[in-house]
Amino acid sequence: MPHADVLMAYADAAVRRDGDLAERRAAVESALGAEAVVDAAATVANYQRMVRIADGCGIPLDRFTDEQSAEWRASLGVDEYYSALNTYGGGG
Amino acid sequence: MTTTAMRFDYREAGFPIADRIRECHLRDWERLRAPGSWWTGAERVAIARQTRAAEDCGLCRERAAALSPASVAGACPPDPLLPQAAVEAIHKLVTDKSRLSEAWYGQVTTAEGMSEERYIELLGVLVHVFAVDELHRALDLPLEPLPEPLAGEPSGYRPAGAAKDASWPPILLPQHAEPGDLDIYEEFGGRRPANVVSALSLVPDNVRWLNDQFAAHYLSWTEMGEIEERHRTLTRPQLELLATRVSALNECFY
Repeated sequence: MPHADVLMAYADAAVRRDGDLAERRAAVESALGAEAVVDAAATVANYQRMVRIADGCGIPLDRFTDEQSAEWRASLGVDEYYSALNTYGGGG
Repeated sequence: MTTTAMRFDYREAGFPIADRIRECHLRDWERLRAPGSWWTGAERVAIARQTRAAEDCGLCRERAAALSPASVAGACPPDPLLPQAAVEAIHKLVTDKSRLSEAWYGQVTTAEGMSEERYIELLGVLVHVFAVDELHRALDLPLEPLPEPLAGEPSGYRPAGAAKDASWPPILLPQHAEPGDLDIYEEFGGRRPANVVSALSLVPDNVRWLNDQFAAHYLSWTEMGEIEERHRTLTRPQLELLATRVSALNECFY
């Protein structure tokens, strides 16, 4: 995927409040343009919201997503997240 | 803090922020300051204020870094307009949300001054204000001053068809919605909405807010289904990469 590295680095800096946010944002602008920076910032903000809705309500995976993602979730270690308990139980 | 300056003035932002985003943020602030279903306008603005205060709460920082947050005793600084349980919940949702549990949810929603309805509206206010602030932080823009609250009482509206389903709070599914609430799932065409959409539906206005802001910051639910279409400058795979990265950094299983 084109420029995946600069986009991920920008998301990392924005979420972690890293000191090099400005540098990484400039890298996105250099690679993809100023409009893309706004797209990226808005997407990061959007998912900073969505993860709090998901975790704040303890929602389980939708059935379709659960079925379709089982293999790669396990390989990436996503099933080890604490919030996996909301789908597979054992929490509380 | 209030201001008479132009709200969400992005003319000097240094980036071409789309009109749809600014217009949405203006609506966000109008929603924020109006009385809701379970909180007054002043209380909703207080929720927003605490959403920001959580970022600088030393106790929350200690708790987030601790192996067990319960091992760090103390209370977050109180807010004159909110029950202390609301303040603690807001701070936790901002700073340590990946360690929430159903037991925690039960404690919060049964605490003095709280209820499931009040928690869900609080969460709705929090996440939408947080998303506006996060966009500003990501672009290194100053945070928008919070609006002056509107007077009035909360409506006390709870949809009659709301019921316990798969998540902690009761939710409203399309087949149980009264005609006046069917609009919240309009884009799903009668299909069951994704769990993250219905999660806040105990307060239907939360879902209206989510639909609006999700479309402005990302894509509408309809656009989400148009996999081959290009709705933004970034391609769909690039948008999805960012979404996945943010979720992974937050250790969000959903």
